[in-house]
Amino acid sequence: MSMLFINSIIGGVFAGGLCGAVGALCGRLKLMTMAFSMAHAALAGSALALVLGADMTSLAMLFAIMTAIMLGPLADYLGVSLDLISMTLFSLYNALTFIFIISAPGPALMTESIGQLLWGSILAIRPTYIAYLLTASIIIIAFLAIFWGKISSILFDIKLAEAEGVNVKAYKYVILVIAGATITLALRITGGFLVFSLLYVPAAASLQLQASMKGIIASSWIIGSASASMGLAMSFLYDLPAGSCITIAALILLASASAYSKLGASLASGRRQSWGT
Amino acid sequence: MEKNLECYAVEFEAVSTYYYGERRPAIRDITLRIPAGVLALIVGPNGAGKTTLLETILGLLRPRNGRVVTLGYEIPRMASRARALSSYLPQDFMKPPAEPFTAREVVAMGLASNNPAGRLSEGDWKRVDRALEMLGMLEYADKPFGKLSGGQQQKVLLARAIAREPKLLLLDEPFSAIDQETRSHIVSEIFPSLLEDGCTILLVSHELDHSHIDADMIIRMADGRIERVIARDVHAIH
Ligand SMILES: Nc1ncnc2c1ncn2[C@@H]1O[C@H](COP(=O)(O)OP(=O)(O)OP(=O)(O)O)[C@@H](O)[C@H]1O
Ligand SMILES: [Mg+2]
Repeated sequence: MSMLFINSIIGGVFAGGLCGAVGALCGRLKLMTMAFSMAHAALAGSALALVLGADMTSLAMLFAIMTAIMLGPLADYLGVSLDLISMTLFSLYNALTFIFIISAPGPALMTESIGQLLWGSILAIRPTYIAYLLTASIIIIAFLAIFWGKISSILFDIKLAEAEGVNVKAYKYVILVIAGATITLALRITGGFLVFSLLYVPAAASLQLQASMKGIIASSWIIGSASASMGLAMSFLYDLPAGSCITIAALILLASASAYSKLGASLASGRRQSWGT
Repeated sequence: MEKNLECYAVEFEAVSTYYYGERRPAIRDITLRIPAGVLALIVGPNGAGKTTLLETILGLLRPRNGRVVTLGYEIPRMASRARALSSYLPQDFMKPPAEPFTAREVVAMGLASNNPAGRLSEGDWKRVDRALEMLGMLEYADKPFGKLSGGQQQKVLLARAIAREPKLLLLDEPFSAIDQETRSHIVSEIFPSLLEDGCTILLVSHELDHSHIDADMIIRMADGRIERVIARDVHAIH
């Protein structure tokens, strides 16, 4: 097996796992639309990097994190909902992305880097990239482990946590910044348009499995890992866009999780009925 | 018990609170002092401003005008200090069936809020179970919160509020889902022991008959204002 294939699998395990876990947290905290707009901020940032010839990951990270920091105060200032601001910025970022792509030097829509930007590529997975993923994974696991008591309180009920003196805003910002970093990293392999599927689908699948909150986060991690590594393997073997393969793998896992939970429920109700007779 | 008349749990001076984007204040020009260690009943019809009053006390809603001091801490500037010493049972407490946290975990969160990193010691876990037991919920400790009945969910949140051993306990319609028997247990056993420990209890209710509650103060609200304060203690001035 080639080094690239092995690296893809390892990269997929970490990138997918990170996205899954972050997605589960954002879903619970109703931050999904924010995560969505951050993903497209990262895309616009990467596209701008193409124009400027700058480093893609740095600009993507800058855009995503600026969005995370800006969204809340902007919504407060304009007196509109966070979702509305998120979706407005989402449109703006997409508009900018296309302008940046067209303005990029060289024949537009042809270069390898634009393909990577839009639908991801296994070529992005290099040892330094894996090192970044590993660092991000350690940071998020440590954050969850150390502060679980307070994080769980926020996940259960934000207002009650706030009423009991938990600094909800600070925790939310930390989670958003982690989400921004995760999205930026994952973007390299999924591409800008499909990174959201890796945040959203594993989290949705894990909710089907009726577990404890820790169980939901852990199973999101595992389903995300499995989606990304399966997708990247598919991409490698059939030379298809990485982001598309990952999304399809994630959707297959979501369908399986749904079927599994439906089956479990119908078996349980079958048992109840047979006891009744 | 001798009450310290100099010390107020809650002080409001000409306080008005507006909801975001509203022209009309939800509570207006409220001046009120609630002495420490009393049980105060807040009554009034729907929309009178009872919940708004409680949330202004904790700084969850920011007062636009006036001065709020809770447990000696200026609100909202020092709200986190006051919140750490308070417990709140919200009016809308119900969670959907998919809520995965167990009853015990939910009560534990109340103690996690007051520890630096949110870790619980062995003693804390004992306190969690004691609080659950007080409300008769220990046997449901490992059940997911979402799979409990409405009244059971309310009891678990009350256990959480009590487990924090608060100086100020804010209860918004705490009996809305709780059966008669548990209610009398709470009123005749749990409240007196909290008051004994110096806790101040503010209880919101829109029930007409609250003769079963031995209140030191009854604050009647209507249309965002305080209509009337009846106090057993003459120093609890309105
Ligand atoms: N989120 C909100 N946005 C705008 N106005 C609100 C909001 N919540 C309450 N209000 C208004 O503020 C006023 C006081 O409401 P509040 O919830 O404090 O009443 P309450 O006394 O607790 O009523 P209830 O007995 O129904 O719980 C009402 O006129 C209500 O319409
Ligand atoms: Mg109310």
